[in-house]
Amino acid sequence: MSITPHIFIKNIRAYFCVSIAHTTCVKKLSKKLQNNLQSLKAALPAEDILSYEFFSKDGVGAAIVYADGMVNKGLIGDLVIRPIASLNLKKQAENSQKDEENNQNDGDRYEVNADLLQKSLLFPEVKEAEKIEDMTKEILDGNALLLVDGIEKGIVVGTKMLPVRAISEPPADVAVKGPREGFVEDFKTNATLVRKRLKSPALRMDVMRVGRRSDTTIALCYLDGICDNRLKDALQKKLQSIDVDVLPDSSYVTALIAPRKHSLFRSVGTTEKPDVFAAKLAEGRVGILVDGSPIALTLPFTLTEDFQSSEDYFVSPFMATLFRVLRLVAVMIALFLPAVYVTTQLFKMQLLPLGLMLTIAKSAREIPFSPSMETFFVLLLFETLKEASIRMPKYVGMSLSVVGALVLGEAAVSAGFLSTPTIIIVALSGICLYTVPNFVETGSVLRWLYLIVAGSLGPFGLTLAGALTLYYLISADSFGMPPLAPFSPLVAHDLKDAVAKYGIRDLDTRPKIYRSKNKTRLRTQGGNRDEN
Amino acid sequence: MTKIDEAPAINTRQLCFLLAFLFPVARFLEAPRLFAVAAKGDLLVSALVASLVEILPVAAFLFISSKTDKTLFQLVEAAFGKWVARIFSLILCAYFLFAAVPPLFDAEKFSYAAFFDTAPTVFSFAPFFIFSAFLCTKNVKAIGRSADLCLFLFLFPFLGLIVMSVGESDFSSLLPIFSQPFTHSLQGVVSTKAHFSCGALLLPLLGRYRYEKGAVKKVSIAYGASVLFTLLFLAVFYGIYTTLAAREHYAFAKIAQYFPALTVVGRWDMLLVYLLTVVYAFYVCLPLQLAVDCFCQGTLLQQKTLFSALLNLAAFLFVLFLNQHYDAVYGLFTSTLSPVFFLFSDLLPLFLPLLLLHKRVKAGAR
Repeated sequence: MSITPHIFIKNIRAYFCVSIAHTTCVKKLSKKLQNNLQSLKAALPAEDILSYEFFSKDGVGAAIVYADGMVNKGLIGDLVIRPIASLNLKKQAENSQKDEENNQNDGDRYEVNADLLQKSLLFPEVKEAEKIEDMTKEILDGNALLLVDGIEKGIVVGTKMLPVRAISEPPADVAVKGPREGFVEDFKTNATLVRKRLKSPALRMDVMRVGRRSDTTIALCYLDGICDNRLKDALQKKLQSIDVDVLPDSSYVTALIAPRKHSLFRSVGTTEKPDVFAAKLAEGRVGILVDGSPIALTLPFTLTEDFQSSEDYFVSPFMATLFRVLRLVAVMIALFLPAVYVTTQLFKMQLLPLGLMLTIAKSAREIPFSPSMETFFVLLLFETLKEASIRMPKYVGMSLSVVGALVLGEAAVSAGFLSTPTIIIVALSGICLYTVPNFVETGSVLRWLYLIVAGSLGPFGLTLAGALTLYYLISADSFGMPPLAPFSPLVAHDLKDAVAKYGIRDLDTRPKIYRSKNKTRLRTQGGNRDEN
Repeated sequence: MTKIDEAPAINTRQLCFLLAFLFPVARFLEAPRLFAVAAKGDLLVSALVASLVEILPVAAFLFISSKTDKTLFQLVEAAFGKWVARIFSLILCAYFLFAAVPPLFDAEKFSYAAFFDTAPTVFSFAPFFIFSAFLCTKNVKAIGRSADLCLFLFLFPFLGLIVMSVGESDFSSLLPIFSQPFTHSLQGVVSTKAHFSCGALLLPLLGRYRYEKGAVKKVSIAYGASVLFTLLFLAVFYGIYTTLAAREHYAFAKIAQYFPALTVVGRWDMLLVYLLTVVYAFYVCLPLQLAVDCFCQGTLLQQKTLFSALLNLAAFLFVLFLNQHYDAVYGLFTSTLSPVFFLFSDLLPLFLPLLLLHKRVKAGAR
């Protein structure tokens, strides 16, 4: 193929553009403070990047560059500026130069020793940076950069102090028993909360940066020797391959690593509680912490996780089993009750006892809509009220609930628009769905689908829709994990902590489905009956 | 050779669950009535004979699996060549389409009887083909996993229905045993052959199932459980309906309605029936799934989605047009065409072990 002059020029241009960009990225500092400050200003022209210049006792210039509002200025003043301002940097430099045999003095300039300077700082978290690119990253990350005249390196001082929310109980995962701490938006706090619970050298956090503009910190957390390495490696690759502009929340990571683009079901587990996160890592899962998000991710994910609560592990196994069964039944009611109610009236009245059927018929007698349309409207009203009450200011939301629940509902029944049983059915379904908060999104969509199918195709269509959902779940593996495990494929060992919850002593080995290399998690046998 | 799933897709547990929990459901709809028509009070004898005949292809399947990891198509290809293997897969595909007809008709009529108090049209059954088209796009691994699910979907509803109906059953109506001539029992075996033809359904699983030590024992127990479920259901069915049993279509949906508590709370037994219908829906789709699989093997086409859509559309049209001639078509499949089921589900699996003697097959044996 011949190269036309036009293409040739274009290529040359591209080459030079790349070269220039590369030069900017790897540009290093000079020994002159003002030049360095100018270079940094050019790389970080934003107004919130400030620099503060000061001098050592013997007049050597120095400057601190930082992002306003992201650093602890008190620390910088006390532990960085004050010690340097009291130092004789020139004298120190001359002393060290005498000691060095191969001293090459740059004309009349002194050579300030960066190592000595670092030791003079009363700060433990200090490191050197040579490239402008690294320095800008550190400054944008919230650290301060110390530049000193005569040193062609920058010293990064870890004085980061970002605005962080206090640790509190997550609103969507409240526990009566058990730990109440919740993750916050700060990555370091979250990492500390996990480390606090897993004081093991095996806990690894592979930190990486994702997002071309946001440069968000992501940590892949796992217990080395316990997690499945194949899963860990696959996830690592997936995370490294993410190329996105901004990564505001962990839900973006979920969407970007999910194997199916349009799945209705979640393929990644989430938790806001560090104790749950730590427990899942200990089971052999891999976790992901994303800076800026209080929601941690865990993989692989099975649907049974949605029906488990952290509290299940702090109450008696009987209660825990009862709660889980209750949640399962509640979700079934939430998904199918409106649909069954509609289909019963339209296609299969035999399902209801005569008395109940007559009561329903009596209240629905003068309603101008068909049962399916009526239920559809009530469900729509319910979803609208729910959405509005979440988005509205707290006090308006309260009055809206009163208006929605009492005035609108009561008035609609009195006016003969809606029947009381329909309102009861939809309200019951709505309440039941909230017994499993993580399933609300999926459950809401499924409820609509089932309602439409039941109203149009009858109970046979509804049964098939249920069967189709099951079959979809059978074959929708994500990261090698079928969502219905340990039920399908059946892993009898793991049924001990699925719907039924065995006692802690019976859960002495890790779940098999996570393919952990280290199987044992409880060695205490104890618990024998009294000798008598 | 055709690209197929090389990794074993089904394990021994799943094979056992297929036999114990998926296949028996096929015998709960029309088979009880057909047994009652032919063998009357001796329907248990007839069902036992049908089950014993069905053991042979299962045993042949296990024997072949223990000797080789080759799939059925690889076996035929090794013995007779590529083109014969392809033609064979297409013939098998045709058989599975043929074998899907009785369960499809059963499902259609059953859905009208059990799911509607109103007058349903044939289009009420149409959603089934959407469901089936979706299932047909899935691989054999999904069949194994659906078998796992059948443990829960079959066992609880089945036991629930039996508990609710056994009290109404008069088992003395089954006595004396052998009250009918044995030829009547054999007639029952012939007329229900379409419902006792799991031997052929296992054939495409060859090579996808990896034989394990102790499998014979486990599969025997599973098959025993399957026979037990069938006999239990037939006994309860005949115990309830006795001489009327020969007229009871889809009694499966009705046997628990006489449970005293249900008169107060409505037909909640139907919820159990609906759960079992999920298992039955899996079963009806199985021959169609295998037909798609065989077609793709035979034609080397990988567009499963397209073929499954076309196949299910064709099946829907078939049901739509022959709906008015249900009795004639069903009668044909349960009498005149019964030998076809014998040929593919019993004789073919029994002859397949002979392929192992072929030197090229021997070369690749375990």
